[in-house]
Amino acid sequence: MRKGKVWICLCLAFLFVLPLGIAYAQEKPIKIGLQAPITGQWAYEGEMAKNSVEVALQMIQEEGGILGGRKIEIVIADDASNPRDSALAAQRLVSQRVAAVIGTYGSSVNEPAADIYEANKMIDIGYGSTAVKLTMAKERKYFFRTCGRDDTQGQFFSEYSVEEMKARRIAIMHDNTTFALGVAEEAKKALKQYLDAGIAELVFYDAITPGEKDFTPILTKLRETNPDVWYFTGYFPEAGLLVRQGRDLGIKCPFVGGNAAINEDFIKIAGLDYAKGCLMTQEPMPTDLDTPKAKRFLELYRQKHNTIPTSPWPVYAADALFALAFAIDKAGSTETDAMLNVLRTGMEGCDGITGSIGFTDRGDRRGIIYKMYVVTEKGEMVVYNP
Amino acid sequence: MIILEQLLNGLTIGSFYALIALGYSMVYGVMKLINFAHGDLFALGSYLGYSLLIWGAGAASQRFGLWGGMIAALLFSFFAVGCAGVLMERVAYRPVQKSGRLPLVVSALGVSIFLQNSIMAIWGPRYQAYPASVVPTHAIHLGWLHVTIMQLFILILSFMLMLTLYYIVQKTTFGAAIRATALDREMATILGVDVRKITLFIFFLGPALGGVAGVMNGMYYRQISFVMGWNYGLKAFTATILGGIGNIPAAMLGGLLLGIVEMFGAAYISSAWKDVFTFLILIIILIFRPTGLIGEKVAEKV
Amino acid sequence: MGKGRGTSKFSLLAIILLFCLYPLFSNFYWTDVAFFFGVYALLGLSLNIVLGETGLFDLGHAAFYAIGAYITAILNTLYGIPIIWLIPLSAIGAGLFAYIVTSPIIHLRGDYLCVVTIGIGEIVRLALINNPFGLTGGPNGITGVGRPSLGPFLIDSPTRFYFYVWGILVIVIICLIRLQRSRIGRAWNYLREDDIAAETSGIDVRHFKLLAFVMGAALAGVAGNIYASKLMIVSPDTFTFMESSMLFCIVMLGGLGSIPGSILGAGIITVFPEIFRIVANYRMLFFGGALVLTMIFRPGGIWPRKREALRLQVSNIDDVKGKVRGKLKAIDKSQNMKKTTSKNNSNEPNTIGNHILTTDKLTMTFGGLVAVNEFDLAVSQGKITSIIGPNGAGKTTVFNVVTGIYKPVSGRVYFEGNDITGLKPHKIAELGLARTFQNIRLFPNLTCIENVMAGLHHRMNSYVLSSIVRTESQRAEEKWALEIAMHWLEKTGLGDVHDELAKNLPYGKQKLLELARALSSSPRLLILDEPSSGLNDKETEELMVFLESLLEEQNLTILLIEHDMNVVMGISHWVVVMDMGMKIAEGTPKEIYNHPKVIEAYLGREE
Repeated sequence: MRKGKVWICLCLAFLFVLPLGIAYAQEKPIKIGLQAPITGQWAYEGEMAKNSVEVALQMIQEEGGILGGRKIEIVIADDASNPRDSALAAQRLVSQRVAAVIGTYGSSVNEPAADIYEANKMIDIGYGSTAVKLTMAKERKYFFRTCGRDDTQGQFFSEYSVEEMKARRIAIMHDNTTFALGVAEEAKKALKQYLDAGIAELVFYDAITPGEKDFTPILTKLRETNPDVWYFTGYFPEAGLLVRQGRDLGIKCPFVGGNAAINEDFIKIAGLDYAKGCLMTQEPMPTDLDTPKAKRFLELYRQKHNTIPTSPWPVYAADALFALAFAIDKAGSTETDAMLNVLRTGMEGCDGITGSIGFTDRGDRRGIIYKMYVVTEKGEMVVYNP
Repeated sequence: MIILEQLLNGLTIGSFYALIALGYSMVYGVMKLINFAHGDLFALGSYLGYSLLIWGAGAASQRFGLWGGMIAALLFSFFAVGCAGVLMERVAYRPVQKSGRLPLVVSALGVSIFLQNSIMAIWGPRYQAYPASVVPTHAIHLGWLHVTIMQLFILILSFMLMLTLYYIVQKTTFGAAIRATALDREMATILGVDVRKITLFIFFLGPALGGVAGVMNGMYYRQISFVMGWNYGLKAFTATILGGIGNIPAAMLGGLLLGIVEMFGAAYISSAWKDVFTFLILIIILIFRPTGLIGEKVAEKV
Repeated sequence: MGKGRGTSKFSLLAIILLFCLYPLFSNFYWTDVAFFFGVYALLGLSLNIVLGETGLFDLGHAAFYAIGAYITAILNTLYGIPIIWLIPLSAIGAGLFAYIVTSPIIHLRGDYLCVVTIGIGEIVRLALINNPFGLTGGPNGITGVGRPSLGPFLIDSPTRFYFYVWGILVIVIICLIRLQRSRIGRAWNYLREDDIAAETSGIDVRHFKLLAFVMGAALAGVAGNIYASKLMIVSPDTFTFMESSMLFCIVMLGGLGSIPGSILGAGIITVFPEIFRIVANYRMLFFGGALVLTMIFRPGGIWPRKREALRLQVSNIDDVKGKVRGKLKAIDKSQNMKKTTSKNNSNEPNTIGNHILTTDKLTMTFGGLVAVNEFDLAVSQGKITSIIGPNGAGKTTVFNVVTGIYKPVSGRVYFEGNDITGLKPHKIAELGLARTFQNIRLFPNLTCIENVMAGLHHRMNSYVLSSIVRTESQRAEEKWALEIAMHWLEKTGLGDVHDELAKNLPYGKQKLLELARALSSSPRLLILDEPSSGLNDKETEELMVFLESLLEEQNLTILLIEHDMNVVMGISHWVVVMDMGMKIAEGTPKEIYNHPKVIEAYLGREE
């Protein structure tokens, strides 16, 4: 019995102590939540998102801040890129009464969080959740995203490859992650018109397993289909290996990566000899944008972290912060409704790192355009101009 | 010819599995523990090799030449991971050992999570890449057959390691002591085998082999990440069971076989369903041979 | 006693009250943490059935959880079936899935079973990713799962979900406690402790292992349903090997087979990382370290199960003792009645030439070694027959073949005229054949009375539902079993240690306990493997007297292996001598005593 009592006391103490953790009173700074995968499989994305947002914050404060110089505080919530932790992270940010949230990476992880923000009338700007259904499957009043959608990119690839590159035999490869599959499916859909017209052929459509390192079997299969262009929609760690192993096997056709496939690390993994000449479908890149904002961002980022973001999404996280800061400043308060109003209708003049930011009725980024980039002999990425 | 190439690739990936599987199997032999942390030791080896090679802007390669640098990295990883293994046994396994097998498994899972997150904390969550300048990138064309130097190096080195181990375990007195310990720990103690020494040796050698495999893996694919341990660990563990756990030649066979099965599964069935296929084969083999392919049938003493 | 119960009731009430009030003084975030605590408690309890109670090494439990979640998501989004109705469907679906995938592999042992469950977990996850038949939505998963509603009462807010999951949990806990303390729960525990002893005591090992998997999977399926309706999305990245490992840790942290332990373990796994959010990047680092430390300092788990005394179920043990003494005769009668019903119509044992057990040219080999070679044995009804012979003569192998542990290479075994060759051990036990082992095989972590009740298992009928509901007949049966078990404990002189764990008994008493377990099934043939080894002279003497008394009282036949010649010569009616797997002589003790071949076998030929 005595032991039992001790346990009960412990349980009691435990349960009473729990809620105390959140009993901090909120002070003056405007709190903005960042939900990101700080641990787990996509931890490097989370880390870069955090770095980017911090750089963006510094830029905002350099320019005098918002609401007459009120400080902004970033509250980070880790979702470990799984849906359960995502729900908890969202609930945690809600209970910390942040003004709005940036987040998160990964569409299926974003789904439960978006529902929670929606229920609590809290604005959430996604930066790496590109699935079409996130905005199209159900009406979400409070969800926005600064990144593009899978379908825009997929369509761009299909049109470009058939019409500009005159490719007839097209190979598409993804890695069965939410994002890569989404882009691949959308590319396939957009390709249908050409298939029906008989001017192109989808000769290969299959998935690799992320985290694997040896892709020779599937590449051998790919080689046998003799494609004119080879599109990989997955991520750079695999893309680098694919290009190297594919070229070694004698696949000579142009390699086109999605916007997650090609970056500095891709070049490091593939080796410059293999990486040069690789193409990618990509929104305008900060390196390519000539705006002072983009330059300043890259400069600061490099200063702080000795590198620049290796994927496009951290940049969108920074843009999400710019959008929020703009909305708060213009609305003159952190009231959700006021901010919502600005985000919906009054975004003219809001510049982010990736150009001007505006949202459609459903919360998607307005006017995202894709371009074809190429890796040069020097390992730089420039707009492709054959 | 394609089949031959696939076979060669299967053997390469299989020799990674085999080297890791050896560690599982040996540790299982002396402690009856599935060392779930073993895959993460492999990843640790990969990162240590990487650090040595990029240290001082590739000082090791400049000083000792390309091959010298590689060997330095392999040796460094071998000893460092071996020591990590011994430390792991001392801190996390030995105190739990007396409490039975299930607590040991939990302890191993704990070590695995700890190691994986330590790697993330030290080297950061980003993917790292072995620079192309520190490894040979030539390929040889034998008629149609396309082999890279690195591939040959991996095959030769891992077969040498495996043969040496096979010799030690099967032909020497010390090896006999290892086998005796694996069969019956208590009896071996009674017969004067220094079981502590054997355990230390195993916990050095098993992880050390994993470390070497990690460095070779990094050199071959050049891309490493802190989560790679789970993937390789799980596969190598599957290979161990496929062959028959606790049995050294069985682990080698299981590893090589798994590599080949995977390659052919991906090539001729479906890349996306490849792992499903691998696990199905494992389950089917275990249904008909409940102790693995060449695991000895142990009659329960009643 | 009464006072102790009072405080425990009071503290239980306090805990319940606390849980009801918790959402009032916590915010939505901590309410959600408590909700996931509840879901993981369900999962922990479900794995506890498989891993904790039955000792099956399951590292792929997330597969069953996934099946439940996906059944809910698919049926709800495609056909709009309300979530509440899908709870039983998810349970049945997951249970059925478990039955199908585990029945071919249930015979695997320990680590091999472990890797197969890992394989199943991975196969399910990969299949979900690859979107078979377009059902699972691939890596995106399925979105738009509905919310449960109890009649008009929609469960949507964190607080409501909190009460919903803990409400279900309370029901589940009550069911599981009742199951744990019934014939089913005991059978699982027997398997965990020693499956060979369990099988020879008459427990259908395969059946109960499968039952454990099915029940565990069904419960995980329920958890999957709740999870899906809370997050409104299911996607494959939830059901990883890591998740299965976490569930494994829940059960191990709490303590194998302990219901409060599993709940506590779930609390640690869910709440601990939340508390350590402050150190963001390092939280999993701490978590890994904490797992190791817990296993070093509390290897049995934080809240291990204490075997409760079985008296809780029957009003009072003193009553029972009195009743047992008074009712001895009645019990014997009821035993006889059971016997008659379980057997053919005739009350007379069905024997060949008055032999209850015969073997015909029995042969058993291991690899190249012939352990038993064309061995013929005839055991006379109502007599004591001994098998003697030097070490390695194949005596124990004969026993193992007769009781079904080994299948003979050739030859047949007849029991009461029926061919029992190759039957499963538990079938043979049901026919009325009980045995003890050379190296005692008890259920070490169970109490003595639970050990003895193993023998009664196959004579009881209550199953899952009746055990949970505690029907009249189930309670009567439990009481009946308890009384008979007590009776045998008293008879073997263990009456006063009935609540002691078997492993805590001294060697001699352990032997007696094993004997009591064998006798409790009221067998017609009792097979004893070296009953007197390890006993001192006085104990041996007592044992001999006891065995002889049994012959008359219980209408029993005894077959034994014995090395102690005093015992053999003292009580045997017939002695069989084995050497090198063959019978070399048989006869009355006197004949054997001077038989030249026997002397040769024992002492070697005189040159």
